[in-house]
Amino acid sequence: MSERNTVVTERMSLRIVSLLLLVAAFSVFVLWSVNPVGSGSESTFALFLAVDLIAVAMISYIDRAVSREGRISRAALIAGCFFIGFLVVGALYLVG
Amino acid sequence: MADTTEVPPREEKIGLMARALSWFDSRLGLSYQLLRPAPQYSINPFYWLGALATVAFVIQAVTGGIMMLYYVPDPTQAYTTTQYIFRNVSYGTFLETIHLYTAYAMIMLAFMHLMRGYFVSVHKKPRELMWVTGMVMGFVTLGFGFTGYLLPWTIVSKSATDVGIGMMGALPQPMASFLTFLVVGSGSDAGELLRFYDLHVFVLPAVLLVLLVVKMYMLEAHGVSEPTSGLGSLSQKKRKLIPIFPDVSFYLVELAALFGSAVILVSVIFPLSLPPEYSAAIAGQYVSQPDWYFLWIYQILKVSAFEQAGLPVALTAVTLIFAALVILPFIDRGKVRNIRERIVYITLGAIFVAEVAVLAVWGYLTPGEAIPDETAALVLGGTALLVTLCSLVAYKLVFGGLRRLARGKSTNDGLASKPPMGATPASPRAAAAWIAGMFVGLLVAGAFFTGNSIADVVALGLGASTALPSLAISLTGLALVVVGTMFLIYRLDLATGSIRRRVRVFELGWKG
Repeated sequence: MSERNTVVTERMSLRIVSLLLLVAAFSVFVLWSVNPVGSGSESTFALFLAVDLIAVAMISYIDRAVSREGRISRAALIAGCFFIGFLVVGALYLVG
Repeated sequence: MADTTEVPPREEKIGLMARALSWFDSRLGLSYQLLRPAPQYSINPFYWLGALATVAFVIQAVTGGIMMLYYVPDPTQAYTTTQYIFRNVSYGTFLETIHLYTAYAMIMLAFMHLMRGYFVSVHKKPRELMWVTGMVMGFVTLGFGFTGYLLPWTIVSKSATDVGIGMMGALPQPMASFLTFLVVGSGSDAGELLRFYDLHVFVLPAVLLVLLVVKMYMLEAHGVSEPTSGLGSLSQKKRKLIPIFPDVSFYLVELAALFGSAVILVSVIFPLSLPPEYSAAIAGQYVSQPDWYFLWIYQILKVSAFEQAGLPVALTAVTLIFAALVILPFIDRGKVRNIRERIVYITLGAIFVAEVAVLAVWGYLTPGEAIPDETAALVLGGTALLVTLCSLVAYKLVFGGLRRLARGKSTNDGLASKPPMGATPASPRAAAAWIAGMFVGLLVAGAFFTGNSIADVVALGLGASTALPSLAISLTGLALVVVGTMFLIYRLDLATGSIRRRVRVFELGWKG
């Protein structure tokens, strides 16, 4: 892989990781602020916990992939983002 | 003239934190490579099924530890305290659900770990004791399931446990006496529940942790097992060793996080609800059924031949199956590990997995029903026959046809094989994956339609004429599977050139 491509991948990964950190921070905030005795709060808690875990898994994957292979699988990223989106929408639906 | 005077190295300023870390590192050896590096080819979920089962165990320890704060192991309070966790403790239902589902996942992962190990021959020298330790850990895992099932003291859990305890008496001696003494004690409900609780939260976790340490030690000694086709079949990149930290550790973090999120998602979709409390008065109204991981054994015991006097025979047979699995490394002592050359063991393993799955599903669908001998023989025999046929055909196609495709020449007649005109040459790996996928699909569909056909024939034989349309659909499906298999064989022959070569050989022979 050329140096230019590696740099582009690293830059891109930095942006994605920043975004994932934001998502993880938001979900941690929700985990602490959700009312534990409210109706449907268990599912909201569980779904945001899952969002947090997926974000951690993706950050770990990006770090490993960039440092070892110098590239990230686009399919894995899309699948991860889709899963996070699905969980967030599901959780927001439960809150609403 | 160049200045050759050496400049003394400038002392770098080291921060307080770095100095503190360095001090601890030099004393504790934090940055030293403690664990043996793993090869790159082990970055594959199938190599870490045992690690995932350990993750499930850790989640259970955490959730179980929280539940222990509220639970009282006494028949008069066990149900009410469990109910309290469900209703009053913050995220109590979530805790209970996660605890149960990770237990299920742990059992499933342990079984997958066992069967994967069997198929890729990890039990062979020098890993025999690792295999035996793993098998004992598997029994401990089943013990967790058995002992934990009783603790909520529901009508379902108590009735099923009573059936299990009753069966223990029919096990071969001295196992029967030992197990009955271990779990029943004086025979009172209070004593029984307390023993189950102690086993579940103290004895079994301690035994599992000790075995885990022993197995980790042996893993460090022997390393990750090599692929069955040998290291020579791998690229240099795949053979490269990578450190446990950060590479393998980060990979395990990913797997654990994905596993955790999957369990959470399932627990949100299917939250647990507490069945009614156990009472001897209403116990007779419920059909006792063990949890899914014991259903296959329960289904064997429901076969008419094994009822009453035949029960010890059936339990001895099941015990022998487990015993054979434990001592497998000392039975299968050959050096050959390649799947391609172990058709008998692979087929036996596939039959075992298929029979366990069929018996479990069958048991789930027929709670409390006795199984006639001829039906059992038909279904179990039919499953074994189907799996054997599929295994033989798969071996012929995957390891016979594809090997020639990979070499690009014939192994028996010396004639070069060329892809048919207009066909895009596929890589052998992609072709193997495609064929394996197709065969798995056909196998699943074939097993389903065969089982359904047999069930419908039996139902028709017993006078249920409503089974006729279902039988027609099943037979049509079976016919489609047969046609699909034949088409697959034809396509593969076309790709490997076998048909054309045979025609050519025939023509040469005729002309000669």
